[in-house]
Amino acid sequence: MLGKNTRSIGTLSLGLVLALAIYLIPGMTGIADAKEAFAEQVFAEEAFAKEVQAEEAVEGEGEPEIEWSQDVFYKDWEGNPLKGPVSGYAAPELGPEDYNTYEFAPSRIILWVANQQHLYFGSFVLAVPIFCMIIEFIGIRTRDDDPVMADKYDRLARDLMKVSLTAYSWTAILGGILLFTFITLFPGFFKYMAGIFRPVMHVYALMFLAESGVLYVYYYGWDKMMDDKFLKWIHCSLSVLLNLIGTVLMYLANSWATFMQAPGGIDSEGRFLGNIWHVIHSTLWNPVGVHRILGNIVFGGGIVGAYAAYHYLTAKNEEEKAHYDWVCYVAMFIAIFGLIPLPFAGYWLMKEVYAFRQQMGITLMGGIMAWLFIIQAVMIGLLFFGANSYLHNGMARVKGSHRYMKYCKYMVLLLICCFTMWMTPHTIVMTPAELKEMGGAQHPVVGHFGVMSAKNTAVNLMITCTVLCFLLYQRANKKITVPWATVGNCWITAIFIGAAANIIFLGVYGYFLPANQRVGLSVPQVTSTLTTLFAGTAINISMFKDSESYGDIQWGTQSKVGTYAIFLLAISFTWLMGLMGYIRSSVRLFWHVTEVVRDNSVDAYTLTIGEAGKMLTFNALFVWVQFVVVFWVGSLTAKKIPAKAPEGVPVPAQQQQ
Amino acid sequence: MNKNLVSFLVFVVGLAVFHNAIFPIFTPKEVGWILNRYVYFLLFVAYLIITHLLLRLSPPVSLKGLFVWSVGFYFYDYVLYPHIPWTLFITYMVMWSIGTFLYISQDPETFREFRAPIVKTIIGEYKLARIVVFTALPILVGFATYNTIYPSFQEPVELRTVHPAPPATTKVHGKTYPLESTNNPFRIDEQDNYKDSFPFLDADKHEYMKYVTEGGTIFFQNCHYCHGDQLNGLGMFSHVFNPTPANFIDPGTIAMLQEAFLFWRVSKGGPGLPNESTPWSSAMPPWEEHLKTEEIWKVILFEYWYTGWHPRTFGTEGSTSGGGE
Repeated sequence: MLGKNTRSIGTLSLGLVLALAIYLIPGMTGIADAKEAFAEQVFAEEAFAKEVQAEEAVEGEGEPEIEWSQDVFYKDWEGNPLKGPVSGYAAPELGPEDYNTYEFAPSRIILWVANQQHLYFGSFVLAVPIFCMIIEFIGIRTRDDDPVMADKYDRLARDLMKVSLTAYSWTAILGGILLFTFITLFPGFFKYMAGIFRPVMHVYALMFLAESGVLYVYYYGWDKMMDDKFLKWIHCSLSVLLNLIGTVLMYLANSWATFMQAPGGIDSEGRFLGNIWHVIHSTLWNPVGVHRILGNIVFGGGIVGAYAAYHYLTAKNEEEKAHYDWVCYVAMFIAIFGLIPLPFAGYWLMKEVYAFRQQMGITLMGGIMAWLFIIQAVMIGLLFFGANSYLHNGMARVKGSHRYMKYCKYMVLLLICCFTMWMTPHTIVMTPAELKEMGGAQHPVVGHFGVMSAKNTAVNLMITCTVLCFLLYQRANKKITVPWATVGNCWITAIFIGAAANIIFLGVYGYFLPANQRVGLSVPQVTSTLTTLFAGTAINISMFKDSESYGDIQWGTQSKVGTYAIFLLAISFTWLMGLMGYIRSSVRLFWHVTEVVRDNSVDAYTLTIGEAGKMLTFNALFVWVQFVVVFWVGSLTAKKIPAKAPEGVPVPAQQQQ
Repeated sequence: MNKNLVSFLVFVVGLAVFHNAIFPIFTPKEVGWILNRYVYFLLFVAYLIITHLLLRLSPPVSLKGLFVWSVGFYFYDYVLYPHIPWTLFITYMVMWSIGTFLYISQDPETFREFRAPIVKTIIGEYKLARIVVFTALPILVGFATYNTIYPSFQEPVELRTVHPAPPATTKVHGKTYPLESTNNPFRIDEQDNYKDSFPFLDADKHEYMKYVTEGGTIFFQNCHYCHGDQLNGLGMFSHVFNPTPANFIDPGTIAMLQEAFLFWRVSKGGPGLPNESTPWSSAMPPWEEHLKTEEIWKVILFEYWYTGWHPRTFGTEGSTSGGGE
């Protein structure tokens, strides 16, 4: 299957690419569509406002007067602030009576832990259904060709769902803890938020109910819907529904956070202006949503991968080893596919942050949060190292891979050079003596790496390199026999060389352009990278038609280094998620809701980098302890049933002991 | 002779010869396109590769790993000039070490090969190596401990942030300016149209150049002592400041900022910087106490004209602020 025959790889890859495209397209095209829709909406609202004002003027006195106020964010097409009827109370000036504390820890730290733990688990339980949907779909599609592998896929999807079920209730409990933490420690702030988001919170609760219902039917109906083909498709459709509801849930919850960071739909006093969609759909809502979906996929992949890696290392027999090695691969495959577009979603988010408030953007990228971004750069580099190390080591167990293994070292060199560029800070930590020696704050050589032109070039090259590595992995055991093999290879080579040349050229060209035009260069750079991903993968897969195999993947022979790389990935994902969440949240500085509700608590300070780092590490370790418990609970009911091939079906080599 | 030993000698002797004999040739006072230290480094790497190919040497992975790591160390510590700060050096070496590890662990075979001599040393198969390593290790640890606790009188490193976050509005000479929407009133034309003009000579020909000239005059009267007569942050007083004054030629300074940001920064100087990330250690005075509003704008106009950078604008990037979606 994965790595076994060409068709299934094709199906899986194309399926994943399509799934990603489906997730990304609404986000990308959403801006244009939303602007158009927004124009109509604004027009209708203005017309309505005029009508109401006209009516008020006609009716004269005696009627209760509606107060109109200006939106803090939304503007009409002439650039004037949009007006709306005041429909809520002004934001409170919070005082000491609005904050409660415990003696053992600052309230904000307690809230941070509660929030982060809930988010980690939320992320996991949203990611697992995406996995199950994809894996079950592959299982159904391959049933006719390879029933043994189809069963394996199905069992894997089900096992994951079983773990997710425990994690689901765990998430709900953590959500409850978070809610109580908010109500008890930040009552004043929560009252204001509840006043604005009242209907959203109820819809959220109802969606949770729907999610639970579908989840239970999906999991407990697995056996009953197993044998009938039609019912199996219905079952798979349930996973789609489950994901849709899950995505809506996440988007609703996101709206609270994005409102706090970049509010809209209220006036400068914080009064609700009657349009709940404006409040939900504030400027960061879409980019945060897309970024989180991709992040969830990567995080989920990391956790499942680490779970499988642990079982792989502790496996008692060859069969178990082969199974978990394969699970590791599936998890990594999905995680890496989520990882590749993740930086682009991040760029989009940052662009919107800058557009909302330049001040906020500078605080993040050049100001007080800049050093956290350097740490983020290191962590992202580690992710790419881990992913490539896994692929390199994974390639070694594929017969025929020796043809490509010799290129690994050059890819490592490219990765390291790009990473060095990627993480060179613009402002270097140094002693005064070193400053003198350098002759200025910027180094004449590596100082050039501190700006976005270099960073964009580096990250795009790193992604392109990872894509190339993946293509080589795909074809490692294949002897290409299509008549157009040479042409195909030339095309792939041309695409990669062309993309790399374009990325480097644009990167260098960026130094000679003003900043506002330079920003625009990132689009063709990203396009070049995505071309290698989509066009390269498509051509590569097409070339596998009628290919001869050098031999199957030797599942169960993955090296230990490659397996440990998965742990590195999983822990890095966890830590990185916490870090970016902290950055996104703490950029509000002393505001609960930016420029509307001021944080007047004793905790309204920004942590030092060291303190923040300790908290992030604590959160990451704490959640992993919980994951271990959840997986252990999930394993309590596990029955080990060896995969048996149905009679009359030849057992694939990788299944044979 | 043992081929591994030959390979090792090729590396060590080659490095010694290159560093002592050839390196000085490539580091003349007047650095050229060919005679520079980076070309020298490429030559050294080429020498290593070609010698190994000619002599058909194929050292074990552990030796290759050592070579790769050492070449990186040599580059960052000796070749790259001026020497990078210690923190960056450590970071780069960590990166390079990770890269070396990825190289030796790219497949189980190479990793096994890499581990073999280590394992053999530990279990005692290489007796001499074991004695050397296990004697040297405690000495190294002792030396590192001594080095760490030995008192140092160097100033501590500073974790600075370079761009302070500006406030939403700033009040200068009694008038409030919203930073996101304020533009330079003297930017009456596209600055590129005056690329070939000269401030003082063409001041009477174009109104734009008149403003640039006035800005330049103010700059040389007030700013160039620190920011330098070439606007590169190397003015006559610059070396007494830490951090050094901003280098406007650098693409990471004014090229990345809106003019209104500069207006705020110049007007309020060091004392007006926000509370977060303090201490800022900025010696710049609040120029609003010495210059008129127009003069500040003109200086800013001059800085952009002189450096050739364009002020950052957000309006043309397709996502204007507050436009909604």
